[in-house]
Amino acid sequence: MSENENIEDREELLSTKKVTISMGPQHPSAHGVLHLILEMQGEKILRAEPDIGYLHRGTEKIAENLLYHQFTPYTDRLDYMSAMSNNMAYVMAVEKALGIEGDIPDRAEYLRVIVAELARCASHLLGIGAWAVDMGALTAFLYCIREREMCLDLFEMISGARMTCSYMRVGGVRYDADQKFFDKVRDFVRILPEKLDEYNKLLTGNRIWIQRNRDIGAISAEDAINFGFTGPNLRASGVPWDIRKDTPYSVYDRFDFDVPVGEKGDCFDRYLLRMAEMRQSLRIIEQALDSMPDGPIAVDIPDVVPPAKDAIYDNMENLIHHFKYVSSGFTVPEGEVYSAIEGPKGILGVYILSDGTEKPYRLKLRVPSFVNLQVMDFLSKETYMADVVAILSSLDPVFGECDK
Amino acid sequence: MKEKKGSALSCLTDILNKAFFIDFAKGLKVTLGYNMSKIVTLNYPDREKWIPYQRWRGLHTLNRDPDGRELCVACELCSRACPTDCITVIPMEDDTGRGIADRVAKVWEIDLVRCLFCGFCQDACPTTAVRLGREYELACKDWSSTKRDRQQLLEEPEIPETLMGGVYKASFVFNKKEVKVVPDLTKKRKNFW
Ligand code: SF4
Ligand code: SF4
Repeated sequence: MSENENIEDREELLSTKKVTISMGPQHPSAHGVLHLILEMQGEKILRAEPDIGYLHRGTEKIAENLLYHQFTPYTDRLDYMSAMSNNMAYVMAVEKALGIEGDIPDRAEYLRVIVAELARCASHLLGIGAWAVDMGALTAFLYCIREREMCLDLFEMISGARMTCSYMRVGGVRYDADQKFFDKVRDFVRILPEKLDEYNKLLTGNRIWIQRNRDIGAISAEDAINFGFTGPNLRASGVPWDIRKDTPYSVYDRFDFDVPVGEKGDCFDRYLLRMAEMRQSLRIIEQALDSMPDGPIAVDIPDVVPPAKDAIYDNMENLIHHFKYVSSGFTVPEGEVYSAIEGPKGILGVYILSDGTEKPYRLKLRVPSFVNLQVMDFLSKETYMADVVAILSSLDPVFGECDK
Repeated sequence: MKEKKGSALSCLTDILNKAFFIDFAKGLKVTLGYNMSKIVTLNYPDREKWIPYQRWRGLHTLNRDPDGRELCVACELCSRACPTDCITVIPMEDDTGRGIADRVAKVWEIDLVRCLFCGFCQDACPTTAVRLGREYELACKDWSSTKRDRQQLLEEPEIPETLMGGVYKASFVFNKKEVKVVPDLTKKRKNFW
Protein backbone atom coordinates (compact mmCIF):
# COMPACT_ATOMS: atom_id res chain seq x y z
CA MET A 1 0.00 0.00 0.00
CA SER A 2 2.64 2.44 1.05
CA GLU A 3 4.73 1.37 -1.86
CA ASN A 4 1.89 2.18 -4.23
CA GLU A 5 1.48 5.64 -2.78
CA ASN A 6 5.15 6.22 -3.21
CA ILE A 7 4.94 5.37 -6.85
CA GLU A 8 2.01 7.74 -7.32
CA ASP A 9 3.92 10.50 -5.56
CA ARG A 10 6.87 10.02 -7.81
CA GLU A 11 4.68 10.00 -10.91
CA GLU A 12 3.15 13.24 -9.75
CA LEU A 13 6.58 14.78 -9.53
CA LEU A 14 7.62 13.53 -12.93
CA SER A 15 4.41 14.33 -14.74
CA THR A 16 4.14 17.62 -16.52
CA LYS A 17 1.90 20.35 -15.25
CA LYS A 18 -1.39 21.12 -16.92
CA VAL A 19 -1.25 24.37 -18.82
CA THR A 20 -3.77 26.34 -20.79
CA ILE A 21 -2.56 28.08 -23.87
CA SER A 22 -4.28 30.18 -26.47
CA MET A 23 -3.76 29.30 -30.09
CA GLY A 24 -4.77 32.26 -32.15
CA PRO A 25 -6.40 34.57 -33.00
CA GLN A 26 -3.04 35.62 -34.40
CA HIS A 27 -1.35 32.27 -34.69
CA PRO A 28 0.32 31.62 -38.05
CA SER A 29 -1.37 28.28 -38.50
CA ALA A 30 -4.75 29.04 -36.98
CA HIS A 31 -7.26 29.70 -39.70
CA GLY A 32 -8.55 33.20 -39.81
CA VAL A 33 -9.33 34.63 -36.43
CA LEU A 34 -10.01 31.44 -34.52
CA HIS A 35 -9.02 31.52 -30.89
CA LEU A 36 -8.50 27.96 -29.66
CA ILE A 37 -8.13 27.52 -25.94
CA LEU A 38 -6.04 24.42 -25.46
CA GLU A 39 -5.68 22.71 -22.13
CA MET A 40 -2.58 20.63 -22.42
CA GLN A 41 -0.41 18.31 -20.46
CA GLY A 42 2.95 18.44 -22.10
CA GLU A 43 2.24 18.01 -25.75
CA LYS A 44 -1.01 16.19 -25.14
CA ILE A 45 -4.35 17.95 -25.56
CA LEU A 46 -6.83 17.48 -22.75
CA ARG A 47 -9.42 19.90 -24.01
CA ALA A 48 -9.75 22.17 -27.01
CA GLU A 49 -12.31 24.89 -26.91
CA PRO A 50 -12.91 27.16 -29.89
CA ASP A 51 -13.60 30.73 -28.84
CA ILE A 52 -15.34 32.35 -31.75
CA GLY A 53 -16.84 35.71 -32.52
CA TYR A 54 -13.86 37.88 -33.43
CA LEU A 55 -15.36 38.56 -36.83
CA HIS A 56 -18.94 39.01 -35.74
CA ARG A 57 -20.67 41.70 -37.74
CA GLY A 58 -24.31 40.98 -37.03
CA THR A 59 -25.07 39.93 -40.58
CA GLU A 60 -28.46 38.48 -39.69
CA LYS A 61 -29.48 41.70 -37.97
CA ILE A 62 -28.27 43.81 -40.87
CA ALA A 63 -30.62 41.85 -43.13
CA GLU A 64 -33.63 42.98 -41.14
CA ASN A 65 -32.88 46.58 -42.03
CA LEU A 66 -32.27 46.14 -45.73
CA LEU A 67 -34.47 45.53 -48.73
CA TYR A 68 -34.35 41.96 -49.94
CA HIS A 69 -32.15 42.68 -52.95
CA GLN A 70 -29.82 44.95 -51.00
CA PHE A 71 -28.67 42.12 -48.79
CA THR A 72 -26.90 40.18 -51.56
CA PRO A 73 -23.53 41.98 -51.18
CA TYR A 74 -23.50 41.09 -47.49
CA THR A 75 -23.72 37.39 -48.28
CA ASP A 76 -20.45 37.76 -50.20
CA ARG A 77 -18.80 38.44 -46.91
CA LEU A 78 -19.93 35.25 -45.22
CA ASP A 79 -17.74 32.59 -46.73
CA TYR A 80 -15.49 35.01 -48.55
CA MET A 81 -13.60 32.17 -50.22
CA SER A 82 -16.63 31.31 -52.33
CA ALA A 83 -18.93 34.30 -52.53
CA MET A 84 -20.83 32.88 -55.48
CA SER A 85 -22.26 29.97 -53.49
CA ASN A 86 -23.47 32.28 -50.74
CA ASN A 87 -25.16 34.53 -53.27
CA MET A 88 -26.87 31.50 -54.69
CA ALA A 89 -28.11 30.24 -51.32
CA TYR A 90 -29.59 33.62 -50.49
CA VAL A 91 -31.24 34.45 -53.78
CA MET A 92 -32.71 30.96 -53.98
CA ALA A 93 -34.30 31.40 -50.57
CA VAL A 94 -35.86 34.72 -51.58
CA GLU A 95 -37.08 33.21 -54.84
CA LYS A 96 -38.69 30.41 -52.91
CA ALA A 97 -40.40 32.93 -50.65
CA LEU A 98 -41.66 34.77 -53.71
CA GLY A 99 -42.81 31.52 -55.26
CA ILE A 100 -40.86 32.09 -58.47
CA GLU A 101 -38.22 29.41 -58.06
CA GLY A 102 -39.62 27.51 -61.03
CA ASP A 103 -39.61 30.52 -63.36
CA ILE A 104 -35.89 31.24 -63.40
CA PRO A 105 -34.69 31.06 -67.02
CA ASP A 106 -32.45 28.15 -67.90
CA ARG A 107 -29.54 30.31 -68.95
CA ALA A 108 -29.49 31.99 -65.55
CA GLU A 109 -29.57 28.62 -63.80
CA TYR A 110 -26.74 27.27 -65.93
CA LEU A 111 -24.62 30.35 -65.32
CA ARG A 112 -25.31 30.01 -61.61
CA VAL A 113 -24.24 26.39 -61.63
CA ILE A 114 -21.04 27.20 -63.50
CA VAL A 115 -19.98 29.97 -61.16
CA ALA A 116 -21.01 28.02 -58.06
CA GLU A 117 -18.89 25.07 -59.13
CA LEU A 118 -15.99 27.39 -59.92
CA ALA A 119 -16.42 28.78 -56.42
CA ARG A 120 -16.25 25.24 -55.05
CA CYS A 121 -12.94 24.73 -56.86
CA ALA A 122 -11.64 28.07 -55.61
CA SER A 123 -12.62 27.23 -52.06
CA HIS A 124 -11.14 23.73 -52.07
CA LEU A 125 -7.94 24.99 -53.67
CA LEU A 126 -7.45 27.50 -50.91
CA GLY A 127 -8.49 24.95 -48.30
CA ILE A 128 -5.88 22.46 -49.45
CA GLY A 129 -3.27 25.15 -50.02
CA ALA A 130 -3.61 26.67 -46.57
CA TRP A 131 -3.60 23.22 -45.05
CA ALA A 132 -0.41 22.34 -46.89
CA VAL A 133 1.33 25.48 -45.72
CA ASP A 134 0.29 24.71 -42.14
CA MET A 135 1.95 21.31 -42.56
CA GLY A 136 5.06 22.98 -43.94
CA ALA A 137 4.54 22.40 -47.66
CA LEU A 138 4.82 25.92 -48.98
CA THR A 139 5.18 24.85 -52.61
CA ALA A 140 1.77 23.22 -52.76
CA PHE A 141 0.26 26.39 -51.32
CA LEU A 142 1.78 28.55 -54.01
CA TYR A 143 0.59 26.22 -56.74
CA CYS A 144 -2.93 26.08 -55.32
CA ILE A 145 -3.08 29.85 -55.16
CA ARG A 146 -2.00 30.05 -58.78
CA GLU A 147 -4.97 27.95 -59.85
CA ARG A 148 -7.30 29.77 -57.51
CA GLU A 149 -6.16 32.96 -59.17
CA MET A 150 -7.54 31.59 -62.44
CA CYS A 151 -10.94 31.12 -60.79
CA LEU A 152 -10.80 34.65 -59.47
CA ASP A 153 -9.86 35.95 -62.92
CA LEU A 154 -12.97 34.26 -64.25
CA PHE A 155 -15.08 35.84 -61.53
CA GLU A 156 -13.57 39.21 -62.32
CA MET A 157 -14.47 38.75 -65.94
CA ILE A 158 -18.08 37.81 -65.37
CA SER A 159 -19.02 39.81 -62.29
CA GLY A 160 -16.52 42.63 -61.95
CA ALA A 161 -15.09 41.61 -58.61
CA ARG A 162 -12.69 38.90 -57.56
CA MET A 163 -13.96 37.92 -54.16
CA THR A 164 -17.06 39.93 -53.33
CA CYS A 165 -18.83 39.05 -56.53
CA SER A 166 -22.51 39.90 -55.85
CA TYR A 167 -23.14 38.22 -59.17
CA MET A 168 -26.58 36.82 -58.55
CA ARG A 169 -29.78 38.72 -58.12
CA VAL A 170 -33.21 37.65 -57.01
CA GLY A 171 -34.71 36.29 -60.19
CA GLY A 172 -31.57 35.51 -62.13
CA VAL A 173 -28.05 36.83 -62.55
CA ARG A 174 -26.85 40.38 -62.96
CA TYR A 175 -24.62 40.12 -66.00
CA ASP A 176 -24.63 37.88 -69.03
CA ALA A 177 -21.55 35.94 -70.01
CA ASP A 178 -19.96 36.18 -73.42
CA GLN A 179 -18.11 33.67 -75.57
CA LYS A 180 -14.76 34.90 -74.27
CA PHE A 181 -15.75 33.92 -70.77
CA PHE A 182 -16.89 30.47 -71.85
CA ASP A 183 -13.61 29.93 -73.71
CA LYS A 184 -11.66 30.89 -70.62
CA VAL A 185 -13.73 28.53 -68.48
CA ARG A 186 -12.98 25.76 -70.94
CA ASP A 187 -9.29 26.57 -70.64
CA PHE A 188 -9.61 26.32 -66.90
CA VAL A 189 -11.44 22.98 -67.11
CA ARG A 190 -8.58 21.73 -69.29
CA ILE A 191 -5.77 23.08 -67.12
CA LEU A 192 -6.95 22.20 -63.61
CA PRO A 193 -6.83 18.36 -63.87
CA GLU A 194 -3.15 18.53 -64.92
CA LYS A 195 -2.44 20.70 -61.94
CA LEU A 196 -4.35 18.39 -59.62
CA ASP A 197 -2.06 15.60 -60.81
CA GLU A 198 0.84 17.82 -59.83
CA TYR A 199 -0.54 18.27 -56.31
CA ASN A 200 -0.93 14.53 -56.20
CA LYS A 201 2.77 14.14 -56.87
CA LEU A 202 3.65 16.77 -54.31
CA LEU A 203 1.29 15.75 -51.54
CA THR A 204 -0.58 12.47 -51.90
CA GLY A 205 2.52 10.29 -52.09
CA ASN A 206 4.62 12.42 -49.79
CA ARG A 207 5.42 10.54 -46.61
CA ILE A 208 5.43 13.62 -44.40
CA TRP A 209 1.99 14.59 -45.65
CA ILE A 210 0.74 11.04 -45.10
CA GLN A 211 2.13 10.79 -41.61
CA ARG A 212 0.77 14.13 -40.56
CA ASN A 213 -2.71 13.29 -41.83
CA ARG A 214 -3.31 9.55 -41.99
CA ASP A 215 -5.39 8.33 -39.03
CA ILE A 216 -5.37 11.79 -37.48
CA GLY A 217 -8.72 13.20 -36.49
CA ALA A 218 -10.71 10.18 -37.62
CA ILE A 219 -14.43 10.37 -37.06
CA SER A 220 -16.94 7.60 -37.66
CA ALA A 221 -19.96 8.07 -39.85
CA GLU A 222 -22.30 7.90 -36.89
CA ASP A 223 -20.39 10.52 -34.90
CA ALA A 224 -20.12 12.72 -37.94
CA ILE A 225 -23.89 12.67 -38.40
CA ASN A 226 -24.49 13.29 -34.72
CA PHE A 227 -22.21 16.31 -34.78
CA GLY A 228 -24.19 17.73 -37.67
CA PHE A 229 -21.34 17.47 -40.16
CA THR A 230 -22.15 18.29 -43.75
CA GLY A 231 -20.24 18.67 -46.96
CA PRO A 232 -16.83 17.16 -47.68
CA ASN A 233 -16.20 16.49 -43.99
CA LEU A 234 -19.26 14.25 -43.73
CA ARG A 235 -18.63 12.50 -47.02
CA ALA A 236 -15.06 11.73 -45.96
CA SER A 237 -16.57 9.57 -43.22
CA GLY A 238 -18.36 7.51 -45.82
CA VAL A 239 -21.83 9.06 -45.85
CA PRO A 240 -22.82 9.86 -49.44
CA TRP A 241 -24.99 12.84 -48.50
CA ASP A 242 -24.88 15.59 -51.07
CA ILE A 243 -28.01 17.66 -51.54
CA ARG A 244 -27.04 18.40 -55.11
CA LYS A 245 -27.80 14.74 -55.70
CA ASP A 246 -30.28 13.82 -53.00
CA THR A 247 -32.65 16.77 -53.11
CA PRO A 248 -31.58 18.46 -56.34
CA TYR A 249 -32.02 22.20 -56.53
CA SER A 250 -31.44 24.53 -59.47
CA VAL A 251 -30.60 22.36 -62.50
CA TYR A 252 -28.25 19.90 -60.84
CA ASP A 253 -30.52 16.99 -61.75
CA ARG A 254 -29.59 17.48 -65.40
CA PHE A 255 -25.91 16.79 -64.87
CA ASP A 256 -24.12 13.55 -64.49
CA PHE A 257 -21.64 13.53 -61.64
CA ASP A 258 -20.52 11.27 -58.81
CA VAL A 259 -20.47 11.92 -55.11
CA PRO A 260 -17.08 10.74 -53.90
CA VAL A 261 -16.94 9.30 -50.39
CA GLY A 262 -14.08 8.49 -48.05
CA GLU A 263 -13.58 5.44 -45.85
CA LYS A 264 -12.02 6.29 -42.54
CA GLY A 265 -13.01 9.88 -42.09
CA ASP A 266 -9.51 10.97 -41.13
CA CYS A 267 -7.70 14.07 -42.29
CA PHE A 268 -6.14 12.27 -45.25
CA ASP A 269 -9.56 11.14 -46.48
CA ARG A 270 -10.84 14.68 -46.20
CA TYR A 271 -7.95 15.80 -48.37
CA LEU A 272 -8.50 13.10 -50.99
CA LEU A 273 -12.19 13.85 -51.03
CA ARG A 274 -11.65 17.52 -51.77
CA MET A 275 -9.34 16.61 -54.62
CA ALA A 276 -11.95 14.20 -56.02
CA GLU A 277 -14.71 16.74 -55.60
CA MET A 278 -12.90 19.31 -57.70
CA ARG A 279 -12.75 16.85 -60.57
CA GLN A 280 -16.49 16.27 -60.26
CA SER A 281 -17.08 20.02 -60.26
CA LEU A 282 -15.13 20.29 -63.48
CA ARG A 283 -17.34 17.57 -64.96
CA ILE A 284 -20.43 19.56 -64.06
CA ILE A 285 -18.96 22.76 -65.49
CA GLU A 286 -18.09 21.02 -68.73
CA GLN A 287 -21.59 19.61 -69.15
CA ALA A 288 -23.12 22.98 -68.34
CA LEU A 289 -20.91 24.64 -70.96
CA ASP A 290 -21.88 22.06 -73.57
CA SER A 291 -25.58 22.49 -73.04
CA MET A 292 -25.63 26.21 -72.31
CA PRO A 293 -29.02 27.47 -73.50
CA ASP A 294 -29.68 30.89 -74.97
CA GLY A 295 -32.27 33.24 -73.64
CA PRO A 296 -32.83 35.81 -70.94
CA ILE A 297 -30.71 35.86 -67.78
CA ALA A 298 -33.43 36.93 -65.38
CA VAL A 299 -37.15 36.41 -64.91
CA ASP A 300 -39.56 38.68 -66.70
CA ILE A 301 -41.28 40.03 -63.61
CA PRO A 302 -40.67 43.78 -63.61
CA ASP A 303 -41.30 44.10 -59.87
CA VAL A 304 -38.46 41.80 -59.00
CA VAL A 305 -36.09 42.42 -61.89
CA PRO A 306 -36.36 45.96 -63.25
CA PRO A 307 -36.22 46.38 -67.04
CA ALA A 308 -32.83 46.84 -68.68
CA LYS A 309 -31.32 50.34 -68.65
CA ASP A 310 -31.82 51.13 -72.31
CA ALA A 311 -35.49 50.14 -72.09
CA ILE A 312 -36.33 52.73 -69.47
CA TYR A 313 -35.72 55.89 -71.49
CA ASP A 314 -38.62 55.72 -73.90
CA ASN A 315 -41.15 53.80 -71.87
CA MET A 316 -42.84 55.44 -68.90
CA GLU A 317 -44.00 52.11 -67.51
CA ASN A 318 -40.45 50.77 -67.42
CA LEU A 319 -39.16 53.93 -65.79
CA ILE A 320 -41.76 53.62 -63.05
CA HIS A 321 -40.75 50.02 -62.42
CA HIS A 322 -37.13 51.08 -62.22
CA PHE A 323 -37.85 53.85 -59.72
CA LYS A 324 -40.10 51.61 -57.69
CA TYR A 325 -37.52 48.82 -57.53
CA VAL A 326 -34.67 51.12 -56.56
CA SER A 327 -36.53 53.17 -54.00
CA SER A 328 -38.67 50.57 -52.26
CA GLY A 329 -37.76 47.12 -53.53
CA PHE A 330 -40.36 44.41 -53.77
CA THR A 331 -42.63 42.80 -51.20
CA VAL A 332 -42.43 39.16 -50.26
CA PRO A 333 -45.61 37.36 -49.21
CA GLU A 334 -46.05 36.57 -45.56
CA GLY A 335 -44.67 33.23 -44.42
CA GLU A 336 -41.47 31.39 -43.76
CA VAL A 337 -39.12 29.50 -46.04
CA TYR A 338 -35.97 27.50 -45.65
CA SER A 339 -33.78 26.76 -48.57
CA ALA A 340 -30.35 25.20 -48.65
CA ILE A 341 -27.57 24.54 -51.10
CA GLU A 342 -24.52 22.33 -51.01
CA GLY A 343 -21.83 24.92 -50.43
CA PRO A 344 -18.12 24.11 -50.69
CA LYS A 345 -17.92 23.66 -46.93
CA GLY A 346 -21.25 21.98 -46.33
CA ILE A 347 -24.92 22.73 -46.34
CA LEU A 348 -25.55 26.43 -46.39
CA GLY A 349 -29.12 27.12 -45.40
CA VAL A 350 -31.07 30.36 -45.37
CA TYR A 351 -34.26 30.71 -43.38
CA ILE A 352 -36.44 33.73 -44.00
CA LEU A 353 -39.41 34.82 -41.97
CA SER A 354 -41.38 37.37 -43.90
CA ASP A 355 -44.13 39.64 -42.58
CA GLY A 356 -45.24 40.70 -46.03
CA THR A 357 -43.09 43.86 -46.28
CA GLU A 358 -40.02 44.72 -48.34
CA LYS A 359 -37.62 43.67 -45.60
CA PRO A 360 -37.23 40.29 -43.94
CA TYR A 361 -38.67 40.12 -40.44
CA ARG A 362 -35.98 37.65 -39.46
CA LEU A 363 -33.22 35.97 -41.40
CA LYS A 364 -31.27 33.02 -40.10
CA LEU A 365 -28.22 31.52 -41.72
CA ARG A 366 -27.25 27.92 -41.16
CA VAL A 367 -23.55 28.10 -41.79
CA PRO A 368 -21.47 24.92 -42.20
CA SER A 369 -18.22 26.27 -40.71
CA PHE A 370 -19.90 26.99 -37.39
CA VAL A 371 -21.43 23.54 -37.15
CA ASN A 372 -18.29 21.74 -38.29
CA LEU A 373 -16.14 23.56 -35.79
CA GLN A 374 -17.88 22.14 -32.73
CA VAL A 375 -16.13 18.83 -33.32
CA MET A 376 -12.72 20.34 -32.45
CA ASP A 377 -12.81 19.20 -28.84
CA PHE A 378 -13.98 15.69 -29.69
CA LEU A 379 -11.31 15.16 -32.35
CA SER A 380 -8.39 16.84 -30.60
CA LYS A 381 -8.66 15.01 -27.29
CA GLU A 382 -5.64 12.84 -26.55
CA THR A 383 -3.82 14.03 -29.66
CA TYR A 384 -0.78 16.22 -29.89
CA MET A 385 -0.41 19.91 -30.54
CA ALA A 386 0.78 19.36 -34.10
CA ASP A 387 -2.28 17.24 -34.89
CA VAL A 388 -4.61 20.01 -33.81
CA VAL A 389 -3.27 22.09 -36.68
CA ALA A 390 -3.96 19.28 -39.14
CA ILE A 391 -7.45 18.66 -37.78
CA LEU A 392 -8.36 22.32 -37.87
CA SER A 393 -7.10 22.72 -41.43
CA SER A 394 -8.91 19.59 -42.56
CA LEU A 395 -12.24 20.96 -41.29
CA ASP A 396 -11.58 24.02 -43.44
CA PRO A 397 -13.55 26.59 -41.46
CA VAL A 398 -13.92 30.16 -42.66
CA PHE A 399 -14.54 32.75 -40.04
CA GLY A 400 -16.49 35.26 -42.01
CA GLU A 401 -19.09 32.55 -42.13
CA CYS A 402 -18.63 31.04 -38.69
CA ASP A 403 -18.87 34.34 -36.83
CA LYS A 404 -21.36 35.93 -39.24
CA MET B 1 -1.06 -17.74 -51.42
CA LYS B 2 -0.89 -15.51 -54.42
CA GLU B 3 -2.19 -12.62 -52.38
CA LYS B 4 0.54 -13.03 -49.83
CA LYS B 5 3.17 -12.88 -52.50
CA GLY B 6 1.62 -9.68 -53.86
CA SER B 7 1.62 -8.04 -50.49
CA ALA B 8 5.22 -9.08 -49.87
CA LEU B 9 6.15 -7.53 -53.19
CA SER B 10 4.32 -4.33 -52.43
CA CYS B 11 6.02 -4.28 -49.06
CA LEU B 12 9.36 -4.55 -50.75
CA THR B 13 8.63 -1.79 -53.25
CA ASP B 14 7.41 0.31 -50.36
CA ILE B 15 10.70 -0.14 -48.55
CA LEU B 16 12.67 0.56 -51.69
CA ASN B 17 10.58 3.65 -52.37
CA LYS B 18 11.29 4.89 -48.89
CA ALA B 19 14.97 4.05 -48.95
CA PHE B 20 15.56 5.90 -52.21
CA PHE B 21 13.25 8.81 -51.34
CA ILE B 22 11.16 8.18 -54.42
CA ASP B 23 8.24 10.22 -53.07
CA PHE B 24 10.43 13.26 -52.51
CA ALA B 25 12.11 12.81 -55.86
CA LYS B 26 8.72 12.89 -57.58
CA GLY B 27 7.82 16.12 -55.81
CA LEU B 28 11.21 17.63 -56.62
CA LYS B 29 10.73 16.76 -60.27
CA VAL B 30 7.59 18.88 -60.29
CA THR B 31 9.20 21.85 -58.59
CA LEU B 32 12.41 21.68 -60.62
CA GLY B 33 10.34 21.48 -63.78
CA TYR B 34 9.04 24.93 -62.97
CA ASN B 35 12.57 26.36 -63.14
CA MET B 36 12.24 26.39 -66.89
CA SER B 37 8.60 27.35 -67.20
CA LYS B 38 6.93 30.67 -67.91
CA ILE B 39 6.62 33.23 -65.13
CA VAL B 40 3.12 33.46 -63.71
CA THR B 41 3.58 36.39 -61.35
CA LEU B 42 3.38 40.10 -62.06
CA ASN B 43 6.20 42.49 -61.39
CA TYR B 44 3.88 44.75 -59.43
CA PRO B 45 4.30 47.58 -58.50
CA ASP B 46 7.71 48.18 -60.04
CA ARG B 47 7.23 47.31 -63.69
CA GLU B 48 3.80 45.89 -64.36
CA LYS B 49 0.22 46.48 -63.40
CA TRP B 50 -2.96 44.50 -63.74
CA ILE B 51 -5.71 46.50 -65.40
CA PRO B 52 -8.96 44.78 -64.48
CA TYR B 53 -11.55 43.60 -66.94
CA GLN B 54 -14.15 46.06 -68.13
CA ARG B 55 -16.85 45.08 -65.67
CA TRP B 56 -14.59 45.85 -62.74
CA ARG B 57 -16.30 47.63 -59.89
CA GLY B 58 -13.69 49.99 -58.53
CA LEU B 59 -13.67 53.66 -57.63
CA HIS B 60 -16.75 55.55 -58.79
CA THR B 61 -16.64 58.05 -61.59
CA LEU B 62 -19.14 60.77 -62.41
CA ASN B 63 -19.53 61.28 -66.11
CA ARG B 64 -20.39 63.94 -68.64
CA ASP B 65 -22.22 63.72 -71.93
CA PRO B 66 -20.35 64.36 -75.22
CA ASP B 67 -21.04 68.10 -74.90
CA GLY B 68 -19.35 68.22 -71.55
CA ARG B 69 -22.50 68.64 -69.49
CA GLU B 70 -22.79 66.70 -66.27
CA LEU B 71 -25.04 63.69 -66.59
CA CYS B 72 -26.10 63.71 -62.96
CA VAL B 73 -29.59 65.12 -62.40
CA ALA B 74 -29.40 64.74 -58.62
CA CYS B 75 -32.34 62.39 -58.48
CA GLU B 76 -30.83 60.70 -55.41
CA LEU B 77 -31.70 57.23 -56.67
CA CYS B 78 -28.11 56.09 -56.17
CA SER B 79 -28.18 57.02 -52.51
CA ARG B 80 -31.51 55.24 -52.11
CA ALA B 81 -30.20 52.08 -53.75
CA CYS B 82 -27.03 51.99 -51.68
CA PRO B 83 -27.14 49.30 -48.98
CA THR B 84 -24.74 51.21 -46.75
CA ASP B 85 -26.03 54.77 -47.24
CA CYS B 86 -22.62 55.99 -48.23
CA ILE B 87 -23.62 58.43 -50.99
CA THR B 88 -24.71 61.95 -50.11
CA VAL B 89 -26.51 63.92 -52.81
CA ILE B 90 -27.78 67.46 -52.33
CA PRO B 91 -29.57 68.89 -55.37
CA MET B 92 -29.73 72.48 -56.53
CA GLU B 93 -31.16 74.51 -59.37
CA ASP B 94 -28.77 75.60 -62.12
CA ASP B 95 -29.90 76.66 -65.59
CA THR B 96 -26.50 77.77 -66.91
CA GLY B 97 -26.07 74.51 -68.78
CA ARG B 98 -23.82 72.80 -66.31
CA GLY B 99 -25.90 69.64 -66.34
CA ILE B 100 -28.17 67.98 -68.83
CA ALA B 101 -31.15 69.25 -66.82
CA ASP B 102 -31.80 72.29 -64.66
CA ARG B 103 -31.38 70.18 -61.58
CA VAL B 104 -27.77 69.41 -60.74
CA ALA B 105 -25.91 68.08 -57.75
CA LYS B 106 -24.61 70.69 -55.34
CA VAL B 107 -22.91 67.98 -53.29
CA TRP B 108 -22.21 64.49 -54.47
CA GLU B 109 -19.99 62.78 -51.99
CA ILE B 110 -19.10 59.19 -51.35
CA ASP B 111 -17.67 57.64 -48.22
CA LEU B 112 -15.36 54.93 -49.53
CA VAL B 113 -14.73 53.18 -46.23
CA ARG B 114 -18.39 52.23 -46.07
CA CYS B 115 -18.77 51.33 -49.72
CA LEU B 116 -19.18 47.65 -50.57
CA PHE B 117 -18.38 48.18 -54.25
CA CYS B 118 -21.54 46.32 -55.10
CA GLY B 119 -22.43 48.48 -58.09
CA PHE B 120 -26.05 48.99 -57.10
CA CYS B 121 -25.64 52.76 -57.48
CA GLN B 122 -24.50 52.25 -61.06
CA ASP B 123 -27.50 50.01 -61.73
CA ALA B 124 -29.84 52.53 -60.17
CA CYS B 125 -28.66 55.67 -61.94
CA PRO B 126 -31.16 56.50 -64.68
CA THR B 127 -28.71 58.70 -66.61
CA THR B 128 -25.59 56.49 -66.28
CA ALA B 129 -23.90 59.38 -64.51
CA VAL B 130 -22.29 57.30 -61.79
CA ARG B 131 -20.24 54.34 -62.96
CA LEU B 132 -17.80 52.16 -61.15
CA GLY B 133 -14.41 52.67 -62.73
CA ARG B 134 -11.23 50.62 -62.75
CA GLU B 135 -9.17 52.45 -60.18
CA TYR B 136 -8.42 50.09 -57.33
CA GLU B 137 -5.41 51.44 -55.49
CA LEU B 138 -7.39 53.09 -52.73
CA ALA B 139 -5.17 52.66 -49.70
CA CYS B 140 -4.66 55.91 -47.85
CA LYS B 141 -3.10 57.34 -44.73
CA ASP B 142 -5.78 59.61 -43.31
CA TRP B 143 -9.53 59.86 -43.04
CA SER B 144 -9.78 62.88 -45.29
CA SER B 145 -8.86 60.83 -48.34
CA THR B 146 -11.53 58.23 -47.73
CA LYS B 147 -14.15 60.63 -49.04
CA ARG B 148 -14.43 61.69 -52.65
CA ASP B 149 -16.49 64.64 -53.76
CA ARG B 150 -18.04 65.65 -57.06
CA GLN B 151 -15.02 67.53 -58.38
CA GLN B 152 -12.67 64.61 -57.86
CA LEU B 153 -15.04 62.08 -59.33
CA LEU B 154 -15.76 64.20 -62.40
CA GLU B 155 -12.12 64.13 -63.48
CA GLU B 156 -11.39 62.08 -66.55
CA PRO B 157 -10.48 58.54 -65.42
CA GLU B 158 -6.94 57.44 -66.22
CA ILE B 159 -8.07 54.24 -67.84
CA PRO B 160 -10.52 54.73 -70.68
CA GLU B 161 -13.63 52.60 -70.46
CA THR B 162 -13.00 50.92 -73.78
CA LEU B 163 -9.57 49.59 -72.86
CA MET B 164 -9.38 45.82 -72.45
CA GLY B 165 -8.11 44.43 -69.19
CA GLY B 166 -4.78 42.68 -68.88
CA VAL B 167 -1.19 43.09 -67.80
CA TYR B 168 0.36 46.41 -68.75
CA LYS B 169 3.82 47.86 -68.35
CA ALA B 170 3.90 50.42 -65.57
CA SER B 171 6.18 52.62 -63.55
CA PHE B 172 6.20 53.14 -59.85
CA VAL B 173 5.89 56.71 -58.60
CA PHE B 174 6.92 57.18 -55.02
CA ASN B 175 7.34 60.63 -53.55
CA LYS B 176 6.14 62.78 -50.71
CA LYS B 177 2.92 63.66 -52.47
CA GLU B 178 1.79 60.33 -53.78
CA VAL B 179 2.46 56.63 -54.07
CA LYS B 180 1.15 55.38 -57.35
CA VAL B 181 1.62 52.89 -60.14
CA VAL B 182 1.22 54.60 -63.47
CA PRO B 183 0.43 52.16 -66.28
CA ASP B 184 1.64 52.62 -69.83
CA LEU B 185 -1.54 51.84 -71.72
CA THR B 186 0.20 51.10 -75.00
CA LYS B 187 2.32 48.24 -73.77
CA LYS B 188 0.35 45.13 -72.97
CA ARG B 189 1.66 41.66 -72.38
CA LYS B 190 -0.06 38.32 -72.34
CA ASN B 191 -1.17 36.97 -68.99
CA PHE B 192 0.03 33.52 -67.99
CA TRP B 193 -3.17 31.78 -69.09
S1 SF4 C 1 -21.03 50.48 -54.88
FE1 SF4 C 1 -22.71 49.81 -53.55
S2 SF4 C 1 -22.06 50.39 -51.49
FE2 SF4 C 1 -20.77 51.53 -52.91
S3 SF4 C 1 -21.79 53.47 -53.18
FE3 SF4 C 1 -22.52 52.16 -54.81
S4 SF4 C 1 -24.38 51.23 -54.00
FE4 SF4 C 1 -23.27 52.10 -52.26
S1 SF4 D 1 -25.60 59.87 -59.97
FE1 SF4 D 1 -27.37 59.14 -61.10
S2 SF4 D 1 -28.68 58.23 -59.55
FE2 SF4 D 1 -27.19 59.46 -58.46
S3 SF4 D 1 -28.20 61.44 -58.20
FE3 SF4 D 1 -27.02 61.57 -60.07
S4 SF4 D 1 -28.44 60.99 -61.69
FE4 SF4 D 1 -29.36 60.33 -59.76
